[in-house]
Amino acid sequence: MAGLNNRGVADVLAMAFMFVMLVLAAVFMHSYSLRPLEAATDRQLKLKSEHLYKTLELAWVDNYSVSYLRAAAENLLLEQPTVPGPYLRSVMENALEYLCPSGYAVAVGLSYENDSWKLSWPEGAGLGLGAEKPFARAGEVRLTMAGGENIAVTVSVRIFEIAET
Amino acid sequence: MTLTQILKTLITCILVISFLLVTVSAYQQHRAISKLAELSDATTAIVTSLSVEELTYENNMYIIDPAKLESLSTRRELAGENFDFQVTVRYEAGGERVLGPYGSTPPDDRTIGSLAVPCVLYENARFLPAKLSVMAWRA
Repeated sequence: MAGLNNRGVADVLAMAFMFVMLVLAAVFMHSYSLRPLEAATDRQLKLKSEHLYKTLELAWVDNYSVSYLRAAAENLLLEQPTVPGPYLRSVMENALEYLCPSGYAVAVGLSYENDSWKLSWPEGAGLGLGAEKPFARAGEVRLTMAGGENIAVTVSVRIFEIAET
Repeated sequence: MTLTQILKTLITCILVISFLLVTVSAYQQHRAISKLAELSDATTAIVTSLSVEELTYENNMYIIDPAKLESLSTRRELAGENFDFQVTVRYEAGGERVLGPYGSTPPDDRTIGSLAVPCVLYENARFLPAKLSVMAWRA
């Protein structure tokens, strides 16, 4: 150490270490300070996914008096649903395009036993299963069949970030 | 004191001062961002309150009664702070239609928080998909 001190290397090392600590501290403190805003944004997106689910559950399909999710459940279970499948997909895509937050995709999935009904917007965005941070709301739609059987269809509505085009 | 010692002392002082400046700057940024996050949360709280309570059609959550928009009070006290807000409801019926805006115009010199969420609008005996937009600011 005496030799190091004589040559001043120890002082240089100490100053270099302080410089590195300064840079690290600056990066850490500034990145950490953004966390409350990121958390608030996530809470808003969670709220949007909840609202989107409830909107699809309660709003009626154009020209029909049945909700989007109920119509989709009927398409999954019934041979002759109230809303024809192609028309439902078309109007639901329009609704999702209108309601979906900018820069995000939305995927709607219904499943019962081995059958499923899926729709995503924008087309080809997928279901967001591998998305880094999806905001999902799950629930069920109950349908009473002609024989009196009460069937619960599992529903999930998922909002996830996509790359801006 | 040699020139080398003077230089080392100088560099050490610069590093210490830089560290203090970075700390103060990070603290100020943290405070500013916390204020923004509070405004964002206040906007979220206002939207939630409107969609599940104040604007509901026959107490059905997430269904907006347009008749209640006219008489809506657009000031809230949240966590000891007063917030003003402006509400707009948009929906599509052969093209986009807009209800509002209701409430005062957002000031130019304040930070504005905005949030638009999907909701259901009860219009002409039908339940239509719509968007409830709120712009909020500190009063």
